[in-house]
Parts: sequence; C-alpha cells; structure tokens
Amino acid sequence: MTSLLQLRKVQAGRDYIASNINEPFSLAGAAVCANMSPYHFCRTFKKAYGETPNEFLVKLRINKAKQLLVTENYSISDICDQVGYQSLGSFSSLFQKHVGIAPTQFRKKIWALSSQAFHYPIHVIPSCYSFRLTQCLSN
Amino acid sequence: MIKSIAHVTAYVINQDEALDFYTNKLGFEIGDDMVVEGGFRWLTVYPASQPQLQLVLAELKEGPMFSEDTAARIKSLVEEGALGVGVFETEDCHKTYEELLAKGVEFIQPPTEQLYGIEAMGKDNSGNWFSLTQPKK
Repeated sequence: MTSLLQLRKVQAGRDYIASNINEPFSLAGAAVCANMSPYHFCRTFKKAYGETPNEFLVKLRINKAKQLLVTENYSISDICDQVGYQSLGSFSSLFQKHVGIAPTQFRKKIWALSSQAFHYPIHVIPSCYSFRLTQCLSN
Repeated sequence: MIKSIAHVTAYVINQDEALDFYTNKLGFEIGDDMVVEGGFRWLTVYPASQPQLQLVLAELKEGPMFSEDTAARIKSLVEEGALGVGVFETEDCHKTYEELLAKGVEFIQPPTEQLYGIEAMGKDNSGNWFSLTQPKK
C-alpha cells in the first residue's frame, strides 16, 4: 500500500501534470515536484492511481478536448494546441482511439443531439439525474 | 450481476461552494463539469485515488432532477443535517482530522474508537455529514 507521505509526494507531481496539460509532457518536471526519480515516480503513481502518469495526462487532454469541442467553436487545430499536442495527426489518432470517433465527428454528433447550441445534450448524463427534462423533451 | 458503484449523489446548496469544499478542503479531483440542455450543470468530484467512483454534486434547485417544491423540501433536510454523503476512508484518522480542521472543515465528532476503526464525523459546507474513518486492520 502507498504510504501517506508517498501519496502526498506523488500527488504534487500529479497536480503538476494536471496544471500543465497544454504544455509538452515533462516526466522529469513532474518527478521533481514529487521529489522522486522519474522511475520511482512512475511506479508510485501507477500503484496509487492504477494508471501511468502518461495515461492520466492523455485522459485529461481528451476530456478537455471533448469539452472544448462541444462548448466552444474553436477549430480542431486550436483545440489540439490548447490540449498540448503539436501534431494534429497525433491528436486526431489519440482522440479516435479513446473516444471511438474523430474530433470533427464527435462535435457534429453532440451538436446534432443537443437542442441548445454549445450545450451538451441531456442524454450524456445518467437518466436518473435528468428524468424531468427528458420527460419534457419526449412529450 | 452489478459490478461496481459508479456515481453517488451529494445534494448541495450551492455547486460553486460545494466544489470549493470538496476540492480545496477535502482534496478531491474534478470529474465532469459540463452544462447540459436546460442549463443543468453536471458536476462530479472523486477522491484522487478512486476515480472510478464519482460523487455528483447536485444543486438543490428546480431543474431536470427536481421540481421547485421537491428541491425546497430536500434543501431543508440538508440544512438541518438530516442527510449524509457516506464514509470517507483514511489511513490515519487523527492526522487527516487535524489537517481538515486546519483547513476549516467543521467536525461534529473528533476521532473516536469504534468497533470498526477510528472515526470522526464532519460536515460539508451544505450541511451533509460524512464519516472520516480509519478502518480497523
């Protein structure tokens, strides 16, 4: 089990990653924040959170990209840049891999489902939290 | 067969204030924060080491979940401390208690020996109680 001290240290590195998602990933930088070697940081991170620092970063970047695709009208290139990818090809491939469809398709699909511009459709949240509205929409 | 619990709900008075409490005082991470049709804000947080379980911070106001009347009735229950969020586990109840106390978290019971471990009882800034428990090994 990860000790409280280790968890606190690795959390500092995790916070560093989370607040720098728009920058090129620096494992060394995160490890310095955690006061650990990069190798030890990766091992401790995986043990504490069940995912590697890179997997955590990709998850954050994809979630941020999804949010920007739905709630803003930025170009895909701008979004790619805002979530820390320098290559549009790499970003699109990763997005496709994690979400199942390309960024442009994702935006079109969500916007088509929503009755309000720049809002997520009600169907993206569990129905038990939205039953009154879904009832209204279906009537 | 049900595999796991993915979401549980905390009914809160104000989402911004609840978000500040759960992230800046309890150290939770933000899961989802999105506005859906009808202006409903879907806001979830989770303990950093347990991203699989999302705590939904559901604001008590008229919307896709509640009528105005239902929201008002639940709000009064939350404010009088009749509802709880659940049990938060820690490796060291005394230490976490001191840390949270220093951050201004309100406790209604200090760390106390129980049959199942050491437990303190706290309240979030809406009025929901929570148990801070160091399980017995």
